[in-house]
Amino acid sequence: MSLAEPAALPVATSAAPRLHVLKRFSNRFKASLPAYLLLLPSLVFLALFTYGAMGRVLIDALYQRATPKAPLRFVGLDNIASVLADPGFTGAVVNNLIYAVGTAVPSIALALLFALALARTHAVNSALRAALFLPVLIPMVAASALFLFIFLPNVGLLDYYIGRLLPVLPNWLGDPDIALYAIMIITIWKNAGYYMLFFLAGLQAVPEDVMEAAHLDGAGPYQRLRHIILPELKPTFLFVTVIAILNAVTQVDHVFVMTQGGPSNSTSLVLFYIYQQAVEHYDIGKASAATLLTLAALMGLTALSFRTMANREGGS
Amino acid sequence: MLFSRRLMLGLAMAGTLAGALAVPAMAEGPTEIDLFFPVPVDGKLARDMGTLIKEFNETHPGVKATAVYTGSYDDTLIKTRAAIKAGKPPAAVIMSANFLLDMQIENELTNLDSLIAADGTTKEKFLGQFFPALQGNAVINRSVYGVPFHNSTPLLYINADKAKEAGLDPNKPPQTWAELTDWAKKLTKREGDKVTQWGIAIPCAYDYCGWMMETLTMSNGGRYYNEEFGGEVYYDTPSMLGALTWWNDLVYKHKVHAPGATPGPAVSTSFISGNAAMMMLSTGSLTYVRDNAKFAYKVAFIPRNVRNAVPIGGASLIMPAGLDADRQKAAWTLIKWMTSPEKSAWWSRATGYFAPNMAAYKTPDMVEFLGKNPDAKTAVEQLDVAKPWFATYKTVPVRKTLEDEVMLVLNGKKQPKEALAAAQKAADETLKPYNAETSLKLP
Repeated sequence: MSLAEPAALPVATSAAPRLHVLKRFSNRFKASLPAYLLLLPSLVFLALFTYGAMGRVLIDALYQRATPKAPLRFVGLDNIASVLADPGFTGAVVNNLIYAVGTAVPSIALALLFALALARTHAVNSALRAALFLPVLIPMVAASALFLFIFLPNVGLLDYYIGRLLPVLPNWLGDPDIALYAIMIITIWKNAGYYMLFFLAGLQAVPEDVMEAAHLDGAGPYQRLRHIILPELKPTFLFVTVIAILNAVTQVDHVFVMTQGGPSNSTSLVLFYIYQQAVEHYDIGKASAATLLTLAALMGLTALSFRTMANREGGS
Repeated sequence: MLFSRRLMLGLAMAGTLAGALAVPAMAEGPTEIDLFFPVPVDGKLARDMGTLIKEFNETHPGVKATAVYTGSYDDTLIKTRAAIKAGKPPAAVIMSANFLLDMQIENELTNLDSLIAADGTTKEKFLGQFFPALQGNAVINRSVYGVPFHNSTPLLYINADKAKEAGLDPNKPPQTWAELTDWAKKLTKREGDKVTQWGIAIPCAYDYCGWMMETLTMSNGGRYYNEEFGGEVYYDTPSMLGALTWWNDLVYKHKVHAPGATPGPAVSTSFISGNAAMMMLSTGSLTYVRDNAKFAYKVAFIPRNVRNAVPIGGASLIMPAGLDADRQKAAWTLIKWMTSPEKSAWWSRATGYFAPNMAAYKTPDMVEFLGKNPDAKTAVEQLDVAKPWFATYKTVPVRKTLEDEVMLVLNGKKQPKEALAAAQKAADETLKPYNAETSLKLP
């Protein structure tokens, strides 16, 4: 028997009139059964590697050892409290906020600028688009290794060129006042080209006739941008902002490669803090608690953005 | 069409499953063991390790060892711990020598005493093969938990050409901090306020920074930690204060050392490019310097203020806890083979680390190598004054509390005295649970 024959299932015949809620539910289930079947493979893997792991984190976050040889015992929310009281965590959150805003805003602005400049498709623009997209193709770890040499104090590429202009050469990754911004530059360089793609796609969707009408009505380039293009790009903005913020939390490869959170914790981001708790401190309880807090924040953010998007679609 | 594709898929999956099930059933012949190994220096080591294990398997038909590359020292610790938790520990691991104590506290190591006794030898005799400086990181509570595999000490590297240019004799390297300060001043070149050549570079990034602080503190007569007990570090002490103050003076008083925290690779690049005339760096970088320096260089002992003393670095071979008897025996055979004089000497020449087995330096190949590369001898000679690498309960976080503060000092944001007091306080806090269970658990 083929799995693609849900009509053969006996469920549909058993429903009595007063159970019409159940019947409706079962009918709906029957109708969407093939969809569930199609989803099954990815659900299995999501359950194994995502939801299973999340469940485990939830449990681990509730247990702690008092001393190294003591057994694990249930501590409730103590781990979460100790994470929130840890200056290492709050420092990482503050760094992460600066990092998120400081990478999202410039990279989105640059991406929009690139997209507007290269919106028309011809050979030169295609080549330029490819050039701007190139950083996306370089793995973050490789890019970080490259930038490690660019940022080398005194002898690196950057100091070699701007060294002639500055009286004192900055130690890009060794000075706690500068290191986080050095890290941010890489993120902006790497992500702007990626976000440009979304804006290019968004620009394709700006209705041609509206633009033409505006042109005929004598609207200048700025007016067209301000009153037609930007409003049409709103969903793209929203989407790209969410992606940029998620990236700011989840993409920390360069912190691992270049600074390990240093100097003096100035580039420690939340994900790196979790890694340190789990690996260096070998404190699974605290690492899990910090993971839970991060997950909650990210899920809240995602839910909010999806709702905003759904509202917009429903309203239009 | 759909049906047949599903059938094919099903058959393929069944085949894979059957294959997976059949493998353990057939594993009757040699004992199969895994060796986890990190590559802390460069990619070539992975190939050398492959060569070494292949030779072992060819000469030991009863054992089939597989070398598993596990990333950095830190990654190797993570992967080993994950494997232990999953109930499938590797039979042997090349582990950073200062992680052993922490693993022993967590009950993650196999005590090697009984295996040594089963060979009909004594602990003293077994450890006697290795340089005495290396034994401190291998022995915990009088039991052997690790076998030294490759090791290093910090060295002073000098650009001999620049020294001659400045009127200094590279054959008489600085022996004291006073002499070193003097050399660094003479080797620093300025154009107005701008420094075009630094006198000296000392690395400070996580891991390296703590090691260099231990080096300077030891040369200043002090100790970094309690070698007998994992619950104490000595950050807020006169010897460490002197060490950090001198480092701070090199940066801000004498202005012969670049400000800020500079990681190891940046220091070696700076030295190779002639931007720094001297540097303190591991013997592990000797091969790199030898291959890349386009100038004459000299290596020397780390200069002293109070005494000549340096810490060791490097890695030991360990066996995780929870191995069955067969795999324990096979792993022990592998470990003894890898740390034998011939193999130890071969690995040393391939990597630049020194060979922990003293007899390695009596093998003909090694005598010839040292004749050609006398600089490799300095590292071995310095071993006479070497002492163990710091290892405490939670070594890495305890070390990091000091490093964060040292970085602030090198960036001119804190004075040495207050920085060390803060580091001591934070370290004591991290060590608290261990002390609660040991030194402060009173009847």
